[in-house]
Amino acid sequence: MMAFLVGEAPAQNALPSFNDSLSAGHTQARLILSAEVARPGDTVWAGVDLKMEPGWHTYWKNSGAAGMPTKIQWHLPPGVTAGPVQWPLPEKFPPAEVTTYGYENEAVLLVPLTLAGNLPPGPLNLKANVSWLECSAEVCVPDQTNLEATLTIGGVSKNSEAAALLETWRKKIPQPATNCLVRAWWQTSAGDDTRPLVVAGNFTGVLAGAPPTVSDFYPAGSDAYELQAATEKLSLAGSDFAFRKIVKKFSGDWPKEISGVLVTEADGQRRGYEITVPVGEQPGAGALSVSPASGPPPVTGTVALPLMLLYAFIGGLILNIMPCVLPVIALKILGFVSEARSEPRRVRNLGFIYALGVLVSFLALAAVVIGLKAAGRHAGWGMQFGSPIFIVCLTTLVTLVALNLFGVFEVTAGGKILDAAGQLASRHGAPGAFFNGVLATVLATPCTAPVLATALGFAFLQNNPAIILLIFLFVGLGLAAPYVILSCSPAWLKFLPRPGPWMEQFKKAMGFPMLATAVWLFNLAYDDYGKGVFWLGMFLVGVALAAWVFGEFVQRGRAGKSVAWAVVVILLAGDYVFALEKGLHWRTAVPEMTTDSFSRTAGGIAWQPWSPQAVAAARAAGHPVLVDFTADWCVTCNVNRKIAIEVPSVENKLKELGVVTLVGDYTHFPDRITAELNRFHRAGVPLVLVYPKNPEAQPIVLPQLLTPGIVVEALDRAAR
Amino acid sequence: MKTTIAVLTAMTLAAGAFAAVEVGQPAPDFTGTTIDGKTIHLSDFKGKIVVIESYNADCPYCHNQYKTGAMQALQQELAAKGVVWLLVNSVNPNNPSHRTPEQAKAEMAAEKMHVTAWIDDSSGTIGHLYDMKTTPDMYVINKDGILVYEGAIDNQPDPFHDPAKARNYVREAVNSLLADKPVEISQTKPYGCSVKYAD
Repeated sequence: MMAFLVGEAPAQNALPSFNDSLSAGHTQARLILSAEVARPGDTVWAGVDLKMEPGWHTYWKNSGAAGMPTKIQWHLPPGVTAGPVQWPLPEKFPPAEVTTYGYENEAVLLVPLTLAGNLPPGPLNLKANVSWLECSAEVCVPDQTNLEATLTIGGVSKNSEAAALLETWRKKIPQPATNCLVRAWWQTSAGDDTRPLVVAGNFTGVLAGAPPTVSDFYPAGSDAYELQAATEKLSLAGSDFAFRKIVKKFSGDWPKEISGVLVTEADGQRRGYEITVPVGEQPGAGALSVSPASGPPPVTGTVALPLMLLYAFIGGLILNIMPCVLPVIALKILGFVSEARSEPRRVRNLGFIYALGVLVSFLALAAVVIGLKAAGRHAGWGMQFGSPIFIVCLTTLVTLVALNLFGVFEVTAGGKILDAAGQLASRHGAPGAFFNGVLATVLATPCTAPVLATALGFAFLQNNPAIILLIFLFVGLGLAAPYVILSCSPAWLKFLPRPGPWMEQFKKAMGFPMLATAVWLFNLAYDDYGKGVFWLGMFLVGVALAAWVFGEFVQRGRAGKSVAWAVVVILLAGDYVFALEKGLHWRTAVPEMTTDSFSRTAGGIAWQPWSPQAVAAARAAGHPVLVDFTADWCVTCNVNRKIAIEVPSVENKLKELGVVTLVGDYTHFPDRITAELNRFHRAGVPLVLVYPKNPEAQPIVLPQLLTPGIVVEALDRAAR
Repeated sequence: MKTTIAVLTAMTLAAGAFAAVEVGQPAPDFTGTTIDGKTIHLSDFKGKIVVIESYNADCPYCHNQYKTGAMQALQQELAAKGVVWLLVNSVNPNNPSHRTPEQAKAEMAAEKMHVTAWIDDSSGTIGHLYDMKTTPDMYVINKDGILVYEGAIDNQPDPFHDPAKARNYVREAVNSLLADKPVEISQTKPYGCSVKYAD
């Protein structure tokens, strides 16, 4: 340890004996590692453990108005790469005029060390030069020391004794503010070189218990400007917290965004949350943002409710042509043709009833989302597809719809659909139209149409039930709009072909896309039940048989209807008990088996499971990272992957740039991925991110529909 | 102790000195007592370029500038160009880094400082008036009494660097004034130890 005596020779004459307090050595430093033995390819946490004498402190990454952040300079053997320093939440030290941020007693500064995959076994000597400024209330003394630690590379990793200590300190690192929406705006127009800034925010409804109290904000440092230490709390209607900071500018323009750590207190515990917020000129224009050190989403622009409602409406319109909803379109076309010769009023009524079906379903969805949020759960678009029970029910329903289209049985009580259209009153058509609306909605959810994603992401982060409701309603309006408009304009209906026997054939033909939908759903069930889906298949066959008996002998039969009824009931009951309950155990699905062990090689790309640590580690090692958040039930995701990621041009680019590819599997709605999606203002997948290799840079959020060109261009940017 | 009290009483603020310190605005006038016991005012130096340095010998950042001789060299270079250099020491009397006038004189001689005056500001009056946050914290005032630079001494905020290799903002500002050019960098974030004001 190098003692740095201030004053040196001349001071001896001038100074009384202050040497004791002016000499260094008030801080002891050591280097600790989370592992004794680690495997090649692992990431090991290193910690610089600083122990300060009582009354002395060292500094945070932003030391404040004075002081100096502790510096770590690594001397590492080849194959070991140090990531950026992770700073635990510091304390704020008075006096008011020169406030600083730092640590008293003890601080462990954490650094992820990435080990190359080709490291040979044996001991490695890790060295670091650590320099710091230690200060008491009276004096400051710089000091530095060289630290060493040994890590053995071997086949089986082994934690070190210090692992628990490192874990304790790792919990003190400020986390990305995933549960919080923050806005910031200037309170006055630009003028002097100081300017008041207002920061306000809301916690989104995903916290357990009461929302924490925001007690302070520790800004990240900058040479160009300074957020002064005083944090003046404000109370602002509609915000969970608000405060004012004075910003002093040294050079350049006023900052466009500010970052730092929100300090919260809950249950007597201080916690830090990293945020980066764009600064708006006016309260209303303060853009929303959440964000983390590891990669704040570049959310820019204003997010006004009317705009979101427009997005919701357009998104709903686009849903009509997404693959999920196409089979229902077939039904709708048929409906129009069969109704075409009816009175315009009747056609219009059916159009409205269809719209009603859609809207009621969307309201129900909104109610579920609001309920879940109130209950403190994460909510995500299409999340019902994460429930195996839902998938079994929907598969059964869609199979029945297909059988119905094939003519195995009728839904309407009055016999053939043509009769219903021609003669019978609207009460037969109405339930069908309503049902179509519901079905369209249910099938639409796994397809997040572009544009819709933005609006839904906005909706899912809202705390106000009215806004959630409104946005869902507008999506529904968009989905239903084409039919309502068509049914209101009889002129268009003239162009429809005349009804005739072809309609019956068309209807049967449309049964096949519906059957394809059933197969797709069936395939989803495989993830939940594994080979048990055999029993789901058998159950469906049983249901089909029952449907046939129903259609043939109950609906079209002449005699023995009650016997036929009995057969249907016995078939269904037996089928349920033996196939679903005994065979499939459908209510107790095999627990998620893929989520965390999701790694595979497809099309020459080695996908690794996603985790924030994996992203940080790869970037620390100098690799760009591509993250694909996907789900088996997400059609858009799988299309993207097939046409824009697992293609030769992109694969070559990935290899050339040494990109680490991570996949986040959202099939079963793990909370941590929901949280990550929310952080990027998305309510669902797809979400494809490209993290530049520079760990400071923001991730690039790719559009919802990808082309190889878009991906290659983003990768090139990330490698710069 | 007598000296301290004398110094404290001697510290009176000129009228109007409560104006905020802002680059581009007139630098507020002040009255201070030098370690020789003389009373001086900022306004005494009107018509000359003035550099103000907030100082604490025991602060490693100041110490780095002096032990390498960089600060003395700058003081000498600017003095030759007719620049006034006022050193302000705002360390409170209870702090071990406080200097009595005798200690200060000895330190000035030992360090071969080349300043117009060392002002004993142990009450912190001038420090607070100028909103001095750190030692060092530098101010450059032009011949018309306008503050043209405030902030760090150079662009290397650590106590170990070689100041000769750093970009010295004070030298730049003074040379721009002498060449009748605008000061390019007029404000930076000061770095260093906190000023040890009385509580």
